[in-house]
Amino acid sequence: MSATTPATSASATPASATPASATRRLLRAYPTLLRVGLSSAVAYRAEFLVWMLATTMPLVMLAVMSAMAREAPVGHFDQKGFVAYYLVTLIVRQMTGAWVAWEMVQEIKEGTLGLRLLRPIHPLASYSAESLAALPMRAIIALPITIVVLVLSSGKDLTQDPLNVLIFVVALAGAWLLNFAVSAIIGTLGLYLESSLQVWELWMGCFMLLSGYLIPLSLFPSWLERVARLLPFAYLQAFPVETLTGLRDRHAALAGLGAQLAWAAAAWLVLAILWKRGVKRFAAYGG
Amino acid sequence: MSAQIEVDKLVKEYRVHERTAGAWASVRSLFRRRYETKRAVDELSFGIAAGERVGFLGPNGAGKTTTLKVLAGLLHPTSGTVRVDGFDPRRRDFDFLRSITLVMGQKQQLLWDLPPVDTFAMNRAIYDIPKAAFDETMNELVTLLELGSLIQRPTRQLSLGERMKCELVAALLHRPRVLFLDEPTIGLDVSMQATLRRFVRDYNERFGATVLLTSHYMDDVAALCPRVIVIDKGHLTYDGPLGELVRKVRPQKRIIVRCTDGTQETLDVPAAELQPTIARLITRGVADLTVEDPPLEDVMRDLFDGDRGSKGAA
Amino acid sequence: MRYARIFGVQLRASVQVTMQYRAEFFVGLFMAAFYVFWNVVPMFVLWSQRSEIAGWSLEEAALVTAWFTFLRAVLDGAVQPSLQAVIEHIRKGTLDFVLLKPADAQFLVSTAKFEVFNFVDAALAVGLAAWGLHRLHRVPTVGQVGIALVLTVAAAALLYALAILVISAAFYVVRLDNLIYLFNSVFDAARWPASVFRGVWRILFTFVVPLALMTTYPALALLGRLDGATAVRALCGAVLFVLAARLVWRRSIGHYRSASS
Repeated sequence: MSATTPATSASATPASATPASATRRLLRAYPTLLRVGLSSAVAYRAEFLVWMLATTMPLVMLAVMSAMAREAPVGHFDQKGFVAYYLVTLIVRQMTGAWVAWEMVQEIKEGTLGLRLLRPIHPLASYSAESLAALPMRAIIALPITIVVLVLSSGKDLTQDPLNVLIFVVALAGAWLLNFAVSAIIGTLGLYLESSLQVWELWMGCFMLLSGYLIPLSLFPSWLERVARLLPFAYLQAFPVETLTGLRDRHAALAGLGAQLAWAAAAWLVLAILWKRGVKRFAAYGG
Repeated sequence: MSAQIEVDKLVKEYRVHERTAGAWASVRSLFRRRYETKRAVDELSFGIAAGERVGFLGPNGAGKTTTLKVLAGLLHPTSGTVRVDGFDPRRRDFDFLRSITLVMGQKQQLLWDLPPVDTFAMNRAIYDIPKAAFDETMNELVTLLELGSLIQRPTRQLSLGERMKCELVAALLHRPRVLFLDEPTIGLDVSMQATLRRFVRDYNERFGATVLLTSHYMDDVAALCPRVIVIDKGHLTYDGPLGELVRKVRPQKRIIVRCTDGTQETLDVPAAELQPTIARLITRGVADLTVEDPPLEDVMRDLFDGDRGSKGAA
Repeated sequence: MRYARIFGVQLRASVQVTMQYRAEFFVGLFMAAFYVFWNVVPMFVLWSQRSEIAGWSLEEAALVTAWFTFLRAVLDGAVQPSLQAVIEHIRKGTLDFVLLKPADAQFLVSTAKFEVFNFVDAALAVGLAAWGLHRLHRVPTVGQVGIALVLTVAAAALLYALAILVISAAFYVVRLDNLIYLFNSVFDAARWPASVFRGVWRILFTFVVPLALMTTYPALALLGRLDGATAVRALCGAVLFVLAARLVWRRSIGHYRSASS
């Protein structure tokens, strides 16, 4: 199979090949892709449950931090503050996580990527649909947790600024876009490298440490905090969480949103380039 | 005469859960699933003597592979008795496992990243084969299959056919007495299929190993198995020589004739009309005439479709 | 005996696979070092805030982290890869080959693959423990070291038993890559001294998934703060887990044999 269609005569472009029609086709197909993805996510109920349970780290960290905060506040966090922080961390992780790298590497290894390439839908579109389709299931878990947070902290440890709430919601989308793009980049690296999954592990390791997932960034030694805030990881967790828990005012939140979306855009650009080149390689060396 | 392999009223059932399409049905299946019991094998009985070559024929999903797996001890029967070489396969006695081998088409036991020799070494340790016997057997098999230094190359670098040959070596290192071959030629090109069949027949004649082969390729069975057991939907519908099966199902002969006037025809005629038809053709002027049994694939199709259409062709 | 030879062959095969790609070799080495770093940083960050947390000083907590690193190396080096191998087998339909061999399937499955670089992590873990003890100016007695070693073996056995339980689940549930992830996630709680956890968490991590036993008890032993009764109880718990895992495994294989086609 080849990834590039043979050149037709310069002037004649069939109506079905224009970018506009391709986009329209994609938009028409996307809801179905989402629905199928949802069925697929639901079909493996045990696996789904496992995924839910797998995000235990924030809860464990909450236990640890609560123990510390029992005698005296840690930094500016008291016990209730930690509860709010980690539960919101959990929600953000559930709603924005993307693990498409696994699937992509698997399909590249087995050659089934070729099947995806044959479909008239861009593989990245189908991957993203599958990724998004899993979110409703995660929302079902995230929702009760949100309610718990609201009740437990009686709103005190959450932001009072409605604009911040709005920014938070947009930040969730931005975080998902960034997460997906990075995961897809690493998956795409599978077209170049043998061990791209090691890169994924490296990324996940750095993410957990430096994004505020395990420990709030404000509790880091100041030099480490400064470094961490420059890196993209912080925009995946720390930024949305801090926005919702009132640790950022609206100016800082808006600035953060800008930075996050910039990182996301950069990531998608890199993804597009890597993907295009990688698929050519894939076609050249055979599926 | 006690057979080496005895199967008596074997039944194998398993459960599948029903899934209807649609998003709502998917969500519902999260909480409650409906299971259905399917009978893969239904009261199967047969006996096979040592050194025989027997083919299991049947359409996909007929229960051939299930039967084979029960004989190998991989699956436990729902009811009925199975005896292989005097052993109950379920018990997984060391001597039993050492006397059988399983080769599955398109699935391999060879380690992927390493050369086949490493898999051979692994099997040697697992089957506890003394070094001398191991070297002798391996060299013999490698020579018979014309592998040479291919066994030193990582498995993933070998072609499908080469892998299959190495797979055979790995499967036969411990000199099993019974060979279970499950669709071994699937996916192989024609010449490799022929090589494989030739090898299995040679191996059987040389070492007297019993061969059980499942396939939906008639050519495998025709080339290899004097005796055929037909399984359809879990039932045994025929047990006997292949030629008789063909005559029973398609009691016709196929005439391929090229006449001197340039026409070419293929005719299927019942045996009784064979002589008159040939006579008639000869008067027309014949340049080339061939009389043969109908293609086995047609026989198979008749055998299985015929059951569905009319009531029982067998 | 035969099983020792099989183990040797399997280990050699894993080493050979690792040596195959030069780039992967160095990547693996780098990742091994990265993981130790990753294990240690959270501890340093937290203890930079407080000098004592739940009665543990930094150096004492370092002992727990050292054991955590060591067991992580066992997990990532021996347990995880085998888990992956089984799941691959089930996916590809080649598990039948394993079940057909005249050797205990559980053993074959458990020794299928080793990630050799974790030896590096294990060595660094020992180094970390030595550092902690040095800073505490403490030299444990032979008896205490002995108890710590026995507990370490028990902890490794426990991890192995848990992995077998997870593998057994693979026979019932089709897609299990995430179970591995779950395993990892839950195990991460073992990096903290057990006394940090209270209430439900404590019960969970002492009895259900006995992480406390794995990392905190050996550290306590070296610090001379573990009483014999607790150590014995922990050992018995580990033995029970191993036996239970074996039972569950057999049951799962039985189910595989009865329920598939």
